[in-house]
Amino acid sequence: VTWYLIAAIFLIGLWGIIAEPNLIRKVIALSIANSGITVMYVYFAALSGDEAPILPVSGTAVDPIPHALMLTAIVVGICVVALALVLVQQLYRRYGTLDMREIEDRVWHAEEHE
Amino acid sequence: MSFPVWILSDAPILAILIPMGAAGVALTGKVFPRLRGLRHLAIVALLPGVVVLAGTVGPVFRDGTVVHYALGGFTAEPGIILVLDGLAWISSALITFVGILVAVASLSDRKFDAAYFFFLLMTVAGMQSVVFTGDLFTMFVSFEIVAIGVYVLIAWERTPQGLLASLKYLFLSSVGILFFLLGVFLIYRDLGTLSMLRILEVAPELPALGGMSGQMLPPAGAARSVPLAIAALCVGIGVRTAFIPFHTWLPEAHAWAPHPVSALLSGVLIKISFLAMVRIVTVFGAGYLLPLFLWIGGVTALVAVFWALMQHDAKRLLAFHSISQMGYILAAWGAGGAMAEVAAFSHAISHALFKSLLFIVVGVAIERSGTRNVYRMRAAGRGAPLLVVGLLVGALAISGIPPFNGYVSKGLISSVVYGSPVYLMLKVASVATAASFIKLSMVLLPARPEGEIVAPEGTSRRRLPLAEGAVILVLVLAVTAGGLLGGPFGEFLATMTGAIGGAGSGGLAGAAGAPGAVGAAGAGGATAAAGAPGAVGAAGAGGATAAAGAAGGAAPFFSGLFAPDRIGDALLPLVGGAVVAGLVVSSPGRRISHRVSAFAPQLRTVLMFFVVGLVLFAVVPLIG
Repeated sequence: VTWYLIAAIFLIGLWGIIAEPNLIRKVIALSIANSGITVMYVYFAALSGDEAPILPVSGTAVDPIPHALMLTAIVVGICVVALALVLVQQLYRRYGTLDMREIEDRVWHAEEHE
Repeated sequence: MSFPVWILSDAPILAILIPMGAAGVALTGKVFPRLRGLRHLAIVALLPGVVVLAGTVGPVFRDGTVVHYALGGFTAEPGIILVLDGLAWISSALITFVGILVAVASLSDRKFDAAYFFFLLMTVAGMQSVVFTGDLFTMFVSFEIVAIGVYVLIAWERTPQGLLASLKYLFLSSVGILFFLLGVFLIYRDLGTLSMLRILEVAPELPALGGMSGQMLPPAGAARSVPLAIAALCVGIGVRTAFIPFHTWLPEAHAWAPHPVSALLSGVLIKISFLAMVRIVTVFGAGYLLPLFLWIGGVTALVAVFWALMQHDAKRLLAFHSISQMGYILAAWGAGGAMAEVAAFSHAISHALFKSLLFIVVGVAIERSGTRNVYRMRAAGRGAPLLVVGLLVGALAISGIPPFNGYVSKGLISSVVYGSPVYLMLKVASVATAASFIKLSMVLLPARPEGEIVAPEGTSRRRLPLAEGAVILVLVLAVTAGGLLGGPFGEFLATMTGAIGGAGSGGLAGAAGAPGAVGAAGAGGATAAAGAPGAVGAAGAGGATAAAGAAGGAAPFFSGLFAPDRIGDALLPLVGGAVVAGLVVSSPGRRISHRVSAFAPQLRTVLMFFVVGLVLFAVVPLIG
């Protein structure tokens, strides 16, 4: 069941990126999809043991590699989200709207009349 | 070679650290704004990269040496291992060369301050590490370093279009990279390793799945979900490579980035993701994907070039050509066989050189005339003959006209895909390519008497900046040399990619002598032949046959390179192109093309393509 829930998180995020017109929500959706992937790795690692991989270990330690990977991936994800928010803010300042469709319309139309 | 040995053994990390150090220099210039000279110093700091490359070419080329550098000395499983082989060397050389030129071309404009150089050089460093990385996760991190730099660079001028293009690229490639991570996860779950060097060790049956022969076996046991994983990886990287279901971000991003950045993006960035894809497909023995790439390549080349023909924005026109030329490269690689990889990389390098040239030339022309519209820009070359030469050389090279490098590499591609329907598609595409560059060359026509030219006062007569002039000159020379020395250069490439020669290192799969003795030799051409383990640096049976085939295929091609009938063949598209160009610039043609080029798919439509692409890649192994 947990696997399906994780897949659901990922897909919700994906759907949000595709379907949400609001740019801020799009960024949030990106973040959600990112979390989906992160949780997937961490959950997989959690299945591999029952103890934190800190020496000394009495039972079976969980596989630490996915955790290390995800730490990196989270940092990278944060950077991307921050950058996305900067771009969104710049666009908002110029157009006063967060609606992707409207912005796209206006930007490419401006190009037409150039 | 009198170079010290440590340069060879540390070359991979040096190649990454040098641009990073240069970026550090540029950042210092950001912190202390008074030190303007640091921008120049940052470029000087890039130069040791050339020394590293020069110092390593001998061993890699002559002996087929494959250097493994364990980061921090950790050779055990999770350790990061950097690999320098022929492919990596070529790509690294390409990055360094174009990187330096792009940095120099950025010098003359004041809006490119120290921070810009920081991001530019970090992007270069990231690309270097994509090239050298030996495991999938480091590849992900490197791709993201590149991506973050590129998002900033695209939006650098803060034009609305630039911002939007950057955001669009951000969403698309972030989704792509999520799929990439998904693929990495599946690989790790099923094979228990992320290192591309150890794939053969843990799953020796993998490379046998696909191959030059094209036979497909159902994956056994743990490797069952590997095709899905590879599909996810290919989709993730495919977004960056911009072939057809995933191309939609490219025209805006490349057209609205600052001009030198466009040169870097079109010239190098998409090639680097292509290289990563070649590596992955080779390592995992996903040879069954090659026919798919052949077709995608053909379609991409054909469709994108017609799109390009419709554009009136000079930079968008070039951007669509980047997609189209990527199609050529993919098709060549997808054709399979010993020479396929050589053809693909040869064209990748040619394209990198002439497209950088074109973007920089057109960028200067746009700055001088103040318009991007092909129909309005006139007399672009007035007072700057070098600009005219640059544009013409670039246009001839991309149309595959001798004696420029495009002629050689396109000839190679034709010889590789010959006999497949894709060959025809590429031929038609080359006519359209010629046509659209005839259209672009119209900017050289003298200004019309009625004064339609809309040059703002004081800009039209601006002299060609010295830095840009030097860069254009260097690129013109490189493009010409690539054509005139096509034969030797092609053989050099063939050796480097492992298609010819004794040292079978066709990619990571053939990287013999990995720490931990993952001995498997002889990956010739595009496929990872399951080689005899343990034979360090010697070609296995597969490699030997591939080499023989390659030698047979390559020799006649290069010897008759400038035969009259070949040249005649190459000139044909030019004639057809002139006719097509005439049609397009006629007034009904203009009206149609205006309507077509106004069509820009919305982001949500674009994202839908994604899912389609993923399904495509996942389904192919099943129906095969």
